[in-house]
Amino acid sequence: MKKFLIIALTAMMLLVFTGCDKPKEETYKITVWVSESEGVKELTEQQIARFCEENGVTLDATVEGISEADSATVMITSVEDGADIFCFSQDQLSRLVQAGALQVLGEAASATVTELNDEISVKAATVNGQLYCYPLTSDNGYFMYYDKSVVKEEHLDSLEDIIADCEAAGRLFSMELETSAWYNASFFFATGAVSEWVTDESGAFVSVNDTFNSEAGIIALKGMQKLLKSPVYNSSSNAADFSAAIPSAVLISGTWAVSDVKAALGDNFGATDLPSFTVDGVEYHLGSFSGNKLMGVKPQTDANKAALLQKLALYLTNEKCQTERFELKGWGPSNLAAQQLDAVKSDIALAALNAQNAYATPQGQIHGSWWNIALAYATSAKEATTDAELQAALDSYKQAIDALFALDTSGLIFVGAWNGWNNTDDAMRMEKDNETFTITVEVPESDYMGGRIVTPGEWDNDKGVTAVTVGVELIQPADAEGNPDNNIIFLAAGTYEVSYNATTGEISIVQK
Amino acid sequence: MAEKQKRHMSQKLKNKLSNGLIYTVLIVVSVIWLFPFFCLVCESFRCESTHQVGYIIPKVWGFDNYINLFTKTDFLIWYKNTFIIAVFVSVIQTIMVLTMSYTLSRLRFKGRKSLMNIMLILGMFPGFITMIVLYKILSGMGLTGANSVPGLILVYTASSAMGYYVSKGFFDTISRSLDEAARIDGATRFQVLTKVIMPLSKPIVIYTILTAFMAPWGDFMFAKYIAHNTSRGMNVAVGLQNMISTPSSLTANYTMFCAGGVLVAVPITILFMSLQKYYVEGVTGGAVKG
Amino acid sequence: MSEYKVERINLFEDLSDFDYLRLNKFQALLYKFIKVIRVVPKWFLNLFVLVGKYIKKFFTYIKDEFVDIYTTFVYGDWKTKMSFFIMGFGSIARGKVLRGILFLVFQVVFIVYLCFGGIHWLSKFKTLGDTKASTVYDPNLDTYVRVDGDDSFKIMLYSLLTIIFIIAFIWTWRTNVKQNKIMEDILKSGKKLKSTKEDIQSLLDEQFHKTLLAIPLTGIMTFTVFPIIFMILVAFTNYDAAHDGYSNLFTWVGLTNFNALFSMNIGSDNLSFAFGEILSWTLIWAFFATFTNYFLGMFVAIMINKKGIKLKKLWRGILVLTSAVPQFVSLLYISKMFANNGLANGLLMEWGFIKNISGIIKFWGVKEIARTMVIIVNVWIGIPYTMLICTGILMNIPKDLYESSQIDGATAFQQFVKITMPYMLFVTGPYLLTSFIGNINNFNVIYLLTGGGPSNPALLTSGGSAGDTDLLITWLFNLTTGAESKYYLAAVIGIMIFVVVSSISVVVYNVMPSTKNEEDFS
Repeated sequence: MKKFLIIALTAMMLLVFTGCDKPKEETYKITVWVSESEGVKELTEQQIARFCEENGVTLDATVEGISEADSATVMITSVEDGADIFCFSQDQLSRLVQAGALQVLGEAASATVTELNDEISVKAATVNGQLYCYPLTSDNGYFMYYDKSVVKEEHLDSLEDIIADCEAAGRLFSMELETSAWYNASFFFATGAVSEWVTDESGAFVSVNDTFNSEAGIIALKGMQKLLKSPVYNSSSNAADFSAAIPSAVLISGTWAVSDVKAALGDNFGATDLPSFTVDGVEYHLGSFSGNKLMGVKPQTDANKAALLQKLALYLTNEKCQTERFELKGWGPSNLAAQQLDAVKSDIALAALNAQNAYATPQGQIHGSWWNIALAYATSAKEATTDAELQAALDSYKQAIDALFALDTSGLIFVGAWNGWNNTDDAMRMEKDNETFTITVEVPESDYMGGRIVTPGEWDNDKGVTAVTVGVELIQPADAEGNPDNNIIFLAAGTYEVSYNATTGEISIVQK
Repeated sequence: MAEKQKRHMSQKLKNKLSNGLIYTVLIVVSVIWLFPFFCLVCESFRCESTHQVGYIIPKVWGFDNYINLFTKTDFLIWYKNTFIIAVFVSVIQTIMVLTMSYTLSRLRFKGRKSLMNIMLILGMFPGFITMIVLYKILSGMGLTGANSVPGLILVYTASSAMGYYVSKGFFDTISRSLDEAARIDGATRFQVLTKVIMPLSKPIVIYTILTAFMAPWGDFMFAKYIAHNTSRGMNVAVGLQNMISTPSSLTANYTMFCAGGVLVAVPITILFMSLQKYYVEGVTGGAVKG
Repeated sequence: MSEYKVERINLFEDLSDFDYLRLNKFQALLYKFIKVIRVVPKWFLNLFVLVGKYIKKFFTYIKDEFVDIYTTFVYGDWKTKMSFFIMGFGSIARGKVLRGILFLVFQVVFIVYLCFGGIHWLSKFKTLGDTKASTVYDPNLDTYVRVDGDDSFKIMLYSLLTIIFIIAFIWTWRTNVKQNKIMEDILKSGKKLKSTKEDIQSLLDEQFHKTLLAIPLTGIMTFTVFPIIFMILVAFTNYDAAHDGYSNLFTWVGLTNFNALFSMNIGSDNLSFAFGEILSWTLIWAFFATFTNYFLGMFVAIMINKKGIKLKKLWRGILVLTSAVPQFVSLLYISKMFANNGLANGLLMEWGFIKNISGIIKFWGVKEIARTMVIIVNVWIGIPYTMLICTGILMNIPKDLYESSQIDGATAFQQFVKITMPYMLFVTGPYLLTSFIGNINNFNVIYLLTGGGPSNPALLTSGGSAGDTDLLITWLFNLTTGAESKYYLAAVIGIMIFVVVSSISVVVYNVMPSTKNEEDFS
């Protein structure tokens, strides 16, 4: 019996080992999400098949269509079940990085991408100095489509004249002002206002340089009011507006609408850069966001699969594939070589976009909440009649933006002479372990080497220094009213570890 | 005599007048109610453009949208998925709902009242908040993405017994003396259910089947979540809704979307019309008691 | 001077029928209103008393259980004693093998599960994981690779499952002990135990409810109760897109989220403001949506049901067609129809109601119009169902009531006010309540028609990211799928919706006459 057992076990072991030794020629099952636009799915399937053929690999690829605006939302619902490779528009990047849905590119791939694509698109794919994805297009911007029979050639440069033309013809002017901050920011960029956001390496936003709440912002809103208050204004970016019951004569939209607009307008089709508006005699050319569509790879636990997917993504965004997409859908390539093709250069929509690009602001990374907050001033401006009301709209905008970086008021920070008594200093946050808060501070030599433990943003505290144990001598001078001062005062400069126990109220200080 | 006749005449006239008024109102109401469907059908046969337009009657009629629906999209798969889901849900849900409502209406046992209260309280939580958990549970069971169909059937039916109100109301209206008579004759409770109650419950059974069958055709929120962007796992609502989820796809697919809508509406409408009598009896017999 | 002495009637006290009848119409109404209001504090008092009672009952129950378990062990025979450790032992030893084996199998499964998973998950429940997934660089392949870490979501999910499993085990164990006692008692008194066959038969008769409820209740437990408990727990974590559990861990944050909802911070943290605004519109909406549907539906039903109206089936069929076409198709069409450049404006212009382009009506663009529009469109959606319900009730109103009133010379309107209305209100009370609650959570109409719009600057800058027609439920949806996917906040709002809905229901249930007596009607 025993013998039999031993033989059986050995046989099993052998089987296991031989199973392991067998070289793996695995067929990876992958999912790829591309734009839902007609034909893109089929094109991508062909491109993947070509990739497999050229590289001698086999892939079991499922290609699904989804709009680039929605893909991030679905990915974030469950990164685990999400696609291995997916396309998305630039404004989704920081969200995806935060959710851990994107894998940083390897060194060689980074170098290739940086070399072959235009600078703006590479910047668009970068978060905090690291390349997170592959530029797919450089056409995610907007410009003006117009009906030649309504808008006169000589009026194209002036917003006021265009509005007048539309009104005379009883046609609408479609531009998303109340429904999309992406479009309404155009007026602010015109007057030189900026909104630049900074992220840390995790993709979280840490600060913003936003000058919308300024003189320039007031002018921008006044310009916006010209359209907002006009009867021809229609908050939409849909190409079907040209054939609606009350048709539009002007549409602010992007390259994706070109074929539909052409079909609707026929010979009257026109596309050009955005016009200028005039406030107090000064002319401001409307700005815009210039952005990109990107392709990302989900983090993988299998190194071989990860490498293969990176290779595939690189392939799908190379010159050839981008050119094919341009030929099929008219998408403007981010690949420098593809941009030089005659067909690309002479494309009428891309030409309009390029003309507008002179006034465009690269989109960069923008906080997800901004897109909602920035709708508010447009709605307010629609009703506003005085400068004060406009100012109020911008004030509440600014407040909302600032509140995005509102201090985390949980926990405790240790402030004092060493950080200029800044009670909102996140660097002085004490580390929490159960009920004990700890921090190590370097106390420089000064007249008053005091400090205190406070709740961030507040000065009142009852973290009174009732029982300090080791290390330093402690002074508790009474103030004029005889109340004890709760400051901890160090008698000598040096590095100290300060810990506070919330249950016992005990503070212990150890010199390092 | 003449006086009475006159009064009778004036009464008749008045009646005629008010009936005329009612007919007018009903016709206006019908037009308002049918108008969107009329437009929808027209849109689905419009071939000159695929986007929304400012007129109702198509300039070029044809079946292009229907053909595109079947050749260019996975509509057939979505339709099949939804049909399978609807059939299973209507069977399972009917069994669940009827057993629950029968039990609560006919049987008296310890904890019956608390059970009803608990279900009432559970029903007050908005269903949306549990969407993400349900997704993860199903995902753990491998029932999302391409396998959404069994997953959706599971979720739709599992808690369906909580919607017992209407049919309990119906059972409550069936006299209990019938049960008691049968019990005295020596029937077990199981026999009471199958031999006495069921034959009387045709309207509520059909009502339950009908409502259960109809619901899966319109669910796009939860089903979209579960399908996780896998075309093979979508139901018809998700597939159609995806066609028009962005401005550019709306422009490209609008008439096709309308054709899809018509194809979904047709079988349900036919089913509904033919079973209308029972539906009305079910609603009126049960919902009132709630 | 009247010869009666006119007493002042105090409306704040309970009145006798006699006094009540002396009130004029307005006073009577006021009296009723005051009565309802007066009930509220009393009701709260009752609630506290009730809660107290339940707590006492609960502890008494626990005490009794322990005493019973103790006595069962001390006075039980060896078979019973063994069953305390090996479940089902007593049953097997007394010849009820099948039942005993079921108990035993459950115990074995439980222990195995606990050892090979349960304990592992439970141990991480307190922190929801400590090792985050990380990436390492593979220099050979020049690629980054993910190294799995803890997944907070899974920890929470499986821990909760384990806890439920443990509770189920304790309950089963208790049943096992109880049954031993029962069996022992039966045997002691000299009777015979029921055979397995008899047991099974009883499941179709005395115990029939258990058979019938087993599957439905399991379903409700798994797919409703469990997820709800889970989401209540989520309200106490920081689970959102940036802390999704899989890539970044999330953890317990105590009451922070509730504080955030009720704090009065300025700017994008002012959620209490957004919550208040949205809640008040939700209630206004639910009120109008319910009652417009109710009265108009009744009106239509009365018209169709009137004697002498032909084609009743056709009229009903036409109306009911709305429920045959999925809402996401029909509502979307209506939404586009009333757009600025849509069909409605186009036709108005063609027919000359609108002179030029500055006259177009912004159906979805102005708060008041948009709010009115959603209520009107909801009538379109809702009337058919109300109509059907009213049809049935109208048929049930005793005809002689109408006939006798007609002899008394009542007009049709008087009949409606004096007979139809009171009857309908009495019978449809519960339906009105459910439909009110349904409207509070009416997602489709708002989401598909306006998407929450028109945008409201105050709400947008307060961090609500909601519009003028957003209901709590659509707001909740926006938060779940929006830029930051704040699941924790959605969970908090979900709980708040529950609080709102349940308070309304409780008050209504206590005031409404027709909800209490379930048996009255059969």
